[in-house]
Parts: sequence; structure tokens; C-alpha cells
Amino acid sequence: MNVTDFLKNSAYKFPSKTAVIDEEKKLTFKDLYQEVQKFSSSIGSVNKSVIGLIAENSISFIISYLGIINSGKTAHLIPFEISENNLLSQLRSANPEFIICSSGAKQNLSKYSSIRTPLLEFGEVSSKPIQNLDNFKTNDLAYLIYTSGTTSEPKGVPITHAMMEFTTKNIIKVLGYTSSDVDILPLPLYHSFGLGCLHTSLCVGSTLVLLKNANNLEKILETTKKYNATTLAAIPATLTKFLQFDKKVLEDYFSTIRLIITNSTSIPTETVKKFKEILRNGHLATYYGLTEASRSTFMIFDKTNKRENSVGRAAPEIRIKIVNHDNNSKAGEIWIKGNNVIKNYWDNVEADKRLVDGWLRTGDIGYIDGEGYLFLLGRDDDIINVGGEKIAPHEIEEVVKQLSGVEDVAAFGVDHEIFGQTIKLNIVKSKNSNLDKSIVLSHCMKNLEKFKIPTKIDFVEDIPKTDYGKVKRFMLK
Amino acid sequence: MILADVLRDDTEIKNTIRNIFFEVFPNMSEADFSWDKEQKDYPAWDSFAQLNLITFAETKFNITLSLEESIGIKSANDLLECVHSHLK
Repeated sequence: MNVTDFLKNSAYKFPSKTAVIDEEKKLTFKDLYQEVQKFSSSIGSVNKSVIGLIAENSISFIISYLGIINSGKTAHLIPFEISENNLLSQLRSANPEFIICSSGAKQNLSKYSSIRTPLLEFGEVSSKPIQNLDNFKTNDLAYLIYTSGTTSEPKGVPITHAMMEFTTKNIIKVLGYTSSDVDILPLPLYHSFGLGCLHTSLCVGSTLVLLKNANNLEKILETTKKYNATTLAAIPATLTKFLQFDKKVLEDYFSTIRLIITNSTSIPTETVKKFKEILRNGHLATYYGLTEASRSTFMIFDKTNKRENSVGRAAPEIRIKIVNHDNNSKAGEIWIKGNNVIKNYWDNVEADKRLVDGWLRTGDIGYIDGEGYLFLLGRDDDIINVGGEKIAPHEIEEVVKQLSGVEDVAAFGVDHEIFGQTIKLNIVKSKNSNLDKSIVLSHCMKNLEKFKIPTKIDFVEDIPKTDYGKVKRFMLK
Repeated sequence: MILADVLRDDTEIKNTIRNIFFEVFPNMSEADFSWDKEQKDYPAWDSFAQLNLITFAETKFNITLSLEESIGIKSANDLLECVHSHLK
């Protein structure tokens, strides 16, 4: 089964129901299915098996994405604000026939002189009479995403239809999506998080409301209220920013919400606690996963579970283990096995070494408690080694975030002549904050062990992050 | 600079360094602090505490100590002299 089969089923069950709403229009399931069929008929005869796609969140994105897959091709999903070098490297690797794009994306890409791959705006894909799709070759691969690269150059991650189906059904089973849901999605569709939300909506026949900008908090709140939304997907940083609003205002706007789903970057425990109070009729939930192993755990933060810093337990039919070469520590590298895990990277023998007997070595460090809850400590490459003491940056960041006047912080290791490494902090101060380095140091001294005290602190404008909100620590060192 | 300013500055520097010691050694009582007391006499003064003393001093006085200077600090007095030499 592929993702267009999800749409086909929902078009059969709910033909006149609204499937998707963007900032300009809306489409029913029946109309969306017809548009997808038209689109695939137009591109079904191209030679290469990969077609690129780059656009903001829109109905046209969804039609193109589903149309590519429906025609038996693989969709190469490209981040909207990709740099020229990154795009060039992805195109060399994926080798798409052409790139389908929005007018905004075409405008951006036309400045990249090194890009030779043809660009086709949505409107330039000619509409042909709907063909019998049986004529199209089938293809195991649904889409190809290059990982956002928190530690190194991006790697191509090919996702099969079977993986996509397995993951979507797990999301539905654990988080209870139904056709009654109205799902707000301000996250980009070109990433695994947003894409998983699209697949879920198509599968259950819920209504998906697309927004282009996850930073426009007022718009998210207004849209939630306007459509009586029942679910919202947002990264942890967005959730923390919501807390600038009065609690009563948030309670009111989120009164219809039964679920806010976020993802596996660390969520400040204070944010989790506050959302437990704000969501009077629902829950905050998170998951842990990588593009290579989507939605491997789920955690629903209900009132009784006090594990606010856990990413939950393994999803159905997924196994997680901690591989540890140090008998004195319960923490180690997280390995994942299941039908959500890729079989190989895209043409990358070196990266394939991370796959061992069906297990994905994630490079993430964590531990599992006695009841099977997974706790993340950071990336293997991120661990800071101060004179033999190993420190997860996340722990330092959590403590510093408690300080008033800290909007964001990243901790990372810097070389030191005696200790090998010591800890440096980059801090983004809130507006009008009078925070100074002495205050930060004193706070760390009171709340952390002595080997975890930073030796250097810089106040910076921003912290480089992936679209998922993960800190790109390799850019800080 | 007149003598009163010098004395006031010296007092401020001394107070700051004293406070640094109480921050880095939070369990230390007033009676346990002495300018001449040496590293070996502080049970909690290990290499990490040394690193923290230097970090606090660099931050509070906006100075940077060399590796040799950092290693050479064995008492509160040593740190005071080192800070003085940077603030001259």
C-alpha cells in the first residue's frame, strides 16, 4: 500500500469532506484525489525514477508529492531554504529528472548558477487526461530525504512505501487519530515530522490545515480557534515560545485540542509541566525518531506520569536497546530495529555501516529505565569530555534555561590544554535582559557538579539549528 | 589615582575574590577561609575547583590568565596577586 492508497480510501469513504486547507484554498478528498491523478498522468512517462520537489506548505505541494508517488516515481524532498552547496550535493546524489517547485522556490533557485537540473513551476506541469496508472512502473521507494545533518554532511535516506505504512499505522494506533480530527500543521512537509502528519491525516480521513510559518504564533492560535482544531504539531521551541502568552489565553485557544504532538529534541521540563496544565481537554505527546527510523518511541505526558524528560517507550513492534561499552554506566548508544528502519542509505557505503543486522546505530546517547522509558542525553559526538568526566550538553542547557533572561542556549566542548575539553555556552538573551556572565556562572555553580561548570560564555544573536530544532553543534565548535 | 581610590579598589578586589572562594567552595565556613591557606589544606580544592576559581576570576574581572598563571595559583593570595597584575 502506498500513500496515495490512503487518499484513495479516504476519497471513497469521505468524498465531499474537506481533506486539506492551506492559506489560500481548500480541497475535498475526492477533488484532491482527482488532482493527484491528473498530476501523475502528466509526469508518469518521464525516464528517471526520481523527481525533486521544493515548495512551502501548500495544497500544490501535496498534489505534487502524491502525484510523483502515484506515478511510480520517488519524490526527492528538498528543504525550502537550502543552500546552493547543499542543493548541488543532493542533486549529484539523487539525480532527479527535474525539480517541481513553487514560484517562490524557483525565484530562490534561479540565483544558484551551478544548478543545471530543470525547474518546473507547479503550473508548468502540463495537465493530461488521466491515464491508467497500471501502465506506470512500480517503485518500492516513496520518498528520499537528506538528513538535516546535526553532526556532518547530509546523507540520503530512502523511505519505502512499507516503512511509511508501518509508521503511519503506529502513529494512529498510539496517538488515536480519527476522521473527526482537524490537524494544524505549521511544520514543513519536506521533513519526516510534517510528512508523517500528512500521511496520518490522509489515512484516517481527517482534515489537515497547512500553515507556512511555525514562528507566527498568533496565526497558529487563530487558526486553531477558527477550525476548532483537535491536534497541533509543533517543535519544542515553538511550544516554549507559546508560554509568553497568558495561561488563560492559551487555555482558551487550545480548549478544543486533544493532542499536541512534538518531537524528540529536548523539551524543557517546565514547558511540559505548563502544557499539562494548559491542555484541559488533551495531552502533550512527543516521539523519538530519526528520518532513518521514524517515530520509534512515543510519550504521552498524562497527568499521572511524572517522566517529563522522557521520550517514552518503544512504538509497537519496534525494539530499542542501549549499547554500552562501559559497565559502570547505564547510558549508551541507542540502537533501533523494526519495520520503520531503513535497509540502507542512498548510495552511501560509509553511512551503511550504521546499519548492523537490521539495527540502526543512531549515534544518540540515552538510557532506558526499569519500566522501558527512554531518556535522551545527546549525540555521541556531542558528549563533552572534561578530564575524563563525560557530560551531556543537554543537562547543562536545561539548568541554564531555568535562568530568567535566557531565550536559548547551546553547550558544547572546546579544546583545553589540560582537561582535553571544557564546556562553552552560547546564550541568546531575551529582549531587555540584563543577564551577565557572572549570574550564569553562579547559577551553574549552585545547580551543577563542579566538573560541569562552563569555562567560557558568549552572548550570541542565535544558535544554528536544523529545521527540527536540533542544535547544529558541529557549527559551534 | 588618589590613595582612597586605590584602597577602595583593593578592598573591592579582595571582596570579589573572597566571594569567589565561597562560591567555588560552598561548604566552606567563614573561619575556614584564609588568604594564606594553601590548596593542599582545602579538601575540596581539586583540579576542577582550580578550573572554576580561574573561570570565576576571569569572568568577574574580565581578564584572561595564561596556563602558567592558572597552574601557579595555590592560595587566595596567589589569585589576588595574579588579578592585581592584570588590572595594573
